[in-house]
Amino acid sequence: MRTAGSMRIRVVAIAALIALVLTVRGHTLSAQQPQYVVGYSANPVPTDPLSTAWDSVPAIEVPLIPQAGVTPALLTPSIASVTVQAIHDDAHIAFRMVWADPTRDVEAGRPDVFRDAAAIQFPVAAGVPSICMGAAGQISNIWHWKADWQEDIDAGFQDITRLYPHFFKDYYPFVEGEPPYSFPDDFSQPDARAYSPGWAVGNALSQPMREWPIENLIASGFGTLTTHEQAAIEGRGVWENGTWSVVFIRELTPAAADLATFQEAGELATAFAVWNGSNEEVGARKQLSSFVTFGIEAPPVTPDEPVGEAPASRDTTLIVVLALLGAFVVAITLATIVVGRNAPPAPRDGGTGA
Amino acid sequence: MPTVFNWQINREMEYPYEAALPERQFSAVFDLNKCIGCQTCTFSCKGGWTSGRGQEYMFWNNVETKPYGFYPMAWDARLLDMLGPQTWDGDTYTGKTIFEAAPPGRAALGFLPDEEDWAYPNIGEDEPNGIVSDGAYLQIPHPVWHFYLPRICNHCQFPACLAACPRKAIYKRPEDGIVLVDQQRCRGYRECMRACPYKKIMYNPVTRVSEKCIGCFPRVENGQQTLCVANCIGRIRMNGWIHTPDTADPENPVDFLVHVRKVALPLYPQFGLQMNIYYIPPVHVPPRYLRQMLGPGVERAIETYRQVHDDPDLLGVLVLSGATDRWINKFLVRDGQAIGFDESGAEIVRVPLKEPAFIRAFHDAERGVFRHNIT
Repeated sequence: MRTAGSMRIRVVAIAALIALVLTVRGHTLSAQQPQYVVGYSANPVPTDPLSTAWDSVPAIEVPLIPQAGVTPALLTPSIASVTVQAIHDDAHIAFRMVWADPTRDVEAGRPDVFRDAAAIQFPVAAGVPSICMGAAGQISNIWHWKADWQEDIDAGFQDITRLYPHFFKDYYPFVEGEPPYSFPDDFSQPDARAYSPGWAVGNALSQPMREWPIENLIASGFGTLTTHEQAAIEGRGVWENGTWSVVFIRELTPAAADLATFQEAGELATAFAVWNGSNEEVGARKQLSSFVTFGIEAPPVTPDEPVGEAPASRDTTLIVVLALLGAFVVAITLATIVVGRNAPPAPRDGGTGA
Repeated sequence: MPTVFNWQINREMEYPYEAALPERQFSAVFDLNKCIGCQTCTFSCKGGWTSGRGQEYMFWNNVETKPYGFYPMAWDARLLDMLGPQTWDGDTYTGKTIFEAAPPGRAALGFLPDEEDWAYPNIGEDEPNGIVSDGAYLQIPHPVWHFYLPRICNHCQFPACLAACPRKAIYKRPEDGIVLVDQQRCRGYRECMRACPYKKIMYNPVTRVSEKCIGCFPRVENGQQTLCVANCIGRIRMNGWIHTPDTADPENPVDFLVHVRKVALPLYPQFGLQMNIYYIPPVHVPPRYLRQMLGPGVERAIETYRQVHDDPDLLGVLVLSGATDRWINKFLVRDGQAIGFDESGAEIVRVPLKEPAFIRAFHDAERGVFRHNIT
């Protein structure tokens, strides 16, 4: 049982982590330089995650820490960092996340199987939101890419018949067509749809037909994640040679007031998260980063002017990365203490009989 | 973490939320002595609620043969093993609940069943606990035994599924205590599946969110008993509103069975969920096995149940079980009849304690034969 003492340790651990994160951020702010400047490109932003156009875009290595502040916690992390790039063309902004994951987890139908996923969090209101999905009154905008949605788009909806090739059932209420039937086509009558409750009530997770693999969400703290009706996030994820590469693209101008605003010459405190399905990572059990401040380069006044270099100096980046790694180590140490305090007594001295 | 009082283990325990008793609590009593494992309940539920795409493997109601039947595989044996010794001091549980035994980073002790664990709902069916040896004869309790355990969601007072959901997508209705998964808020994390010790949350592979027994709430709202209760051909089941021991109403059939006669017991009370489906223990099964499953009141319950022929009130409630599909709020036994009343106090059912029977003579003088069946 989590005793009051161990809860205190946990709270102290979270507070120390946040303090370190803010210290790191304070350092970058005092330098008056964002950690990464999203450069302007005269060409449209690359939509293919494996496009060679990404080769010339500056990259930043973002350390990740396991989410251990709230229940359910991730105590066995599997991904240490993610490489992030970003570019804009004055109409759209594109982010690319690249991380090593030896397992390609694209299924989400089996009860014990979890998908890979990645997310970017932006503040909506001014001020510093919590790295933990915002806070009351401070909305965060979260773009969440899902490997199972990607698979649905690339290879067709993962119906029961794809999960279980020998599956057969002869009857469903109000179904059309012939066994073994095809979802969603044969289940489109409202009465048939009522037997798929998540779909019937409009849950975004339950929609079988998708155009993009990224969900646009808003949140104002733990447990508040809510699908945003407007502004699809376009993009694509590709797994190759043990590496996921995922591109997120959105118009620079937000479609609603409660979505991320990218102001040219402005700055954004952005956070990243990655889930490894094979490690049963889902929901709060994830690897997340602390804030990375992004600047947005304004397009040149005349097209002849050369595009300026990203001002984030190598030295500043190095300091920030080292500081974040320090925070990571401290967090792991504190998490270990919490685990140690919570470990159940090992020996058992009898059977299970009452 | 808040502390709540769980009367089923007769002590306070830690739970992530403050105790919030509903206005009234959905409940049922299942008499395990009468279950024949016919699965009519299972299929009345399946036809009513889980015949959609992705629900094929789901049995919100299932009936498993104990000791070797499980749905999903080893759901209880595995958790009992994880929980370690479960000790009682009289009526007070002195071991750990699944909340108190929660590992770091989790709301409750539990496990996520493997995919294949759901694939054998009939495993162990009709298998007895051991081998019949030479010279065996019938005794009570039986030396070789099995019994059927029908199970639905227990709509617990302190649900582990609700405690484990980081999104608060699971809620307990204040009007009847039925526990539901909000199909709009659920994001399919399956923390609830991992935490529910009874493994009565199921993940829909097509909608990719979790679903569970809904307590037939549209029927309950209309004064009807649930599909599994109303369709039970063995008449082993009865719905009712359960109260806490200090507010028990002796005219309420479920309160009478649970709190007054104490013949109906909670399933694995040591898990700490204050669950709301109660079981009358099977009298032919050794109490040593049943104590682990139904707690320390097993011997007393069996003793009381076996005296039912001298207890018209207890007999009255038992004959009302399955006698109507309406929800019985109160009962009365008078003039050899048991009468059930609805919420407004109107009579909805009347059953004789003893069915009228015509008994014929053994010997049929007209035809010069003896009869095999005289009733």
